Amino acid sequence: MAYNLKESVKKPERLAGGHRMCAGCGAPVVVRAILRALKEDDHAVIGSATGCLEVSTCLYPYTSWKDSFIHSAFENAAATVSGAEAAYNALKRKGKITGDTKFITFGGDGGTYDIGLQSLSGAMERGHDMVYICYDNGAYMNTGIQRSSATPSFADTTTSPAGNVIPGKMQPRKDLTLIMANHNIPYVAQTAPMGNFKDIYAKAEKALYTPGAAFINAFAPCPRGWRYETPLLMDIIKLAVDTCIWPLYEVEDGKLTVNYKPRKKLPVEDFLKAQGRFRHMFKKGNEWTIEQFQKDVDEKWERLLSMEEN
Amino acid sequence: MDKVLMKGNEAIAEAAIRANCRHFFGYPITPQTEISAYMAKRMSKVGGTFLQAESEVAAINMVYGAAGAGVRVMTSSSSPGISLKMEGLSYIAGADLPCVIVNIVRAGPGLGGIQPAQSDYFQAVKGGGHGDYRMIVIAPSSIQETVDCTIDAFDLADKYRMPVMLMGDGMLGQMMEPVSFPEVKTDHLPKKDWATTGTKMKRKANIINSLYIHPEELEEVILKREEKYNTIYETEVKYHTEGLENADVVLVAYGTTARIAKAAIALAKQNGIKAGLIRPITLWPFPTDIIAKTAPNVKCMISVEMSTGQMVEDIRLAVNGVCPVHFYGRTGGAVPTPTAIFEQIRRYA
Repeated sequence: MAYNLKESVKKPERLAGGHRMCAGCGAPVVVRAILRALKEDDHAVIGSATGCLEVSTCLYPYTSWKDSFIHSAFENAAATVSGAEAAYNALKRKGKITGDTKFITFGGDGGTYDIGLQSLSGAMERGHDMVYICYDNGAYMNTGIQRSSATPSFADTTTSPAGNVIPGKMQPRKDLTLIMANHNIPYVAQTAPMGNFKDIYAKAEKALYTPGAAFINAFAPCPRGWRYETPLLMDIIKLAVDTCIWPLYEVEDGKLTVNYKPRKKLPVEDFLKAQGRFRHMFKKGNEWTIEQFQKDVDEKWERLLSMEEN
Repeated sequence: MDKVLMKGNEAIAEAAIRANCRHFFGYPITPQTEISAYMAKRMSKVGGTFLQAESEVAAINMVYGAAGAGVRVMTSSSSPGISLKMEGLSYIAGADLPCVIVNIVRAGPGLGGIQPAQSDYFQAVKGGGHGDYRMIVIAPSSIQETVDCTIDAFDLADKYRMPVMLMGDGMLGQMMEPVSFPEVKTDHLPKKDWATTGTKMKRKANIINSLYIHPEELEEVILKREEKYNTIYETEVKYHTEGLENADVVLVAYGTTARIAKAAIALAKQNGIKAGLIRPITLWPFPTDIIAKTAPNVKCMISVEMSTGQMVEDIRLAVNGVCPVHFYGRTGGAVPTPTAIFEQIRRYA
């Protein structure tokens, strides 16, 4: 059946409202979009790394998760879920469990790009039948906006503060999606909850129902850390994609497809200017930061297009 | 000396910089992230290095590297993060390297909570990491004392070539108090001629190592280190006492809890009960002597902690059965109230 947003939202919610994520946060939007791709009869075991999503959705004794939920620590969400998946396989083999269970892990960029990279890499390499979803908001937001290796260049965070001499974070973002693609797993995708959510839905469905390990990197803006007005959430996501700062693409069995090519590629300023974390880039004398940012985005975009061709 | 109003975490960071610490390796965790944020802003202005690692494991091993090069170096974290640092800490102790580790304790075990606790006492003073090693553990109870202890921590680390832990709790980290920063002198400290800074072809290479394959060789190294620990136990114990003369009941409490204990002692006085306080400032070396000396003169001692009873074991060892040792504690992030502690004093007086 062709994708239809109206139809897909008729499915019962698997992440209940009433959780304590901020207004204008991209993370719960990502989670709900991903979980909508589950078949209604399938059960899910969901693990979460420490982070905003975890602390805001499972304040003991309350939980927003309709499926089974595990949280263990910051660095080991992928290991925890791969253990659960291995146990499930053993029980299934012995005929002690029935029905279909899907294994899903959510982690923020701190818990995925940085401290959790080792356990993520291990779980993917071993090929557990699980999906790891990184909701990438580009910093440690739960502890109060510290830079991570997903923080874009020049962003102002409390541990990469922009001052008179140093204009924010001095290193480029780590390209985690391509690192995961190089694990040669069946499915890797970069997505964002945008428009009618078709891209994220289709990718979640493929990731969940392709046997083996899958990784999804989902763009999830943070109003506190990025300093934007909360109603602008969806506009900012669209701008990230239309400026090619966050390209939507997927790698299936090694074949890369760019899923969205903006008809008119917008300048990076359009994305940067709506956010307080980049404000210093527009100060006199800092013009070079915007030029550098644009150059980096252009190079990465061209490289992605050439990878698609090859 | 001018006083400034500062948050505990920021005062620790500033004190470290005043103590000539120019290398800081951190990782975010509540309730101590302000130390990293302060260092991020301040270090570049004093020509130092602030680096946010990709994990606590990485941060402590960066400390290992910097300490080996002979520079003053610090890392900070809170309980779950300190657990991750334990392997590196054991290696640092085994390689006889000086550094300062800050633990702004929160409730555990596991993820626990982010409220203040003192439940990492065992981990800090009884090892935590593997092997025969000790770590000087200092537990201040005000922001000013936190500043002074941070500076002392660097001196002690350099003096004895060993890791020193500054142990606070979420309340000390987040609380604001007026502080002043003393002038720091380091000329009395030994030269770091053991550091691996390059021989320039002029001397024999220094080697920093914790691996010894032959048991006899390792035993010798450990026993020599043990002698150093014994010296520390004899000379570096620090504590504070109040009202021990004529006291019937003596409270033993450190850090935040000691401040609350003082209020309880004042309540006892109003009610005609004589109570005193022994406040360990060094948790290792533990103030065993003063506790042992006080024990014969009192009805009992009460250990007051934000844990289910950890330091109480060391008090009992020091008292050695001479007087009863009771325990009162709150845990999980809960903080004892003066009234609740006073009730314990009244119960046992």
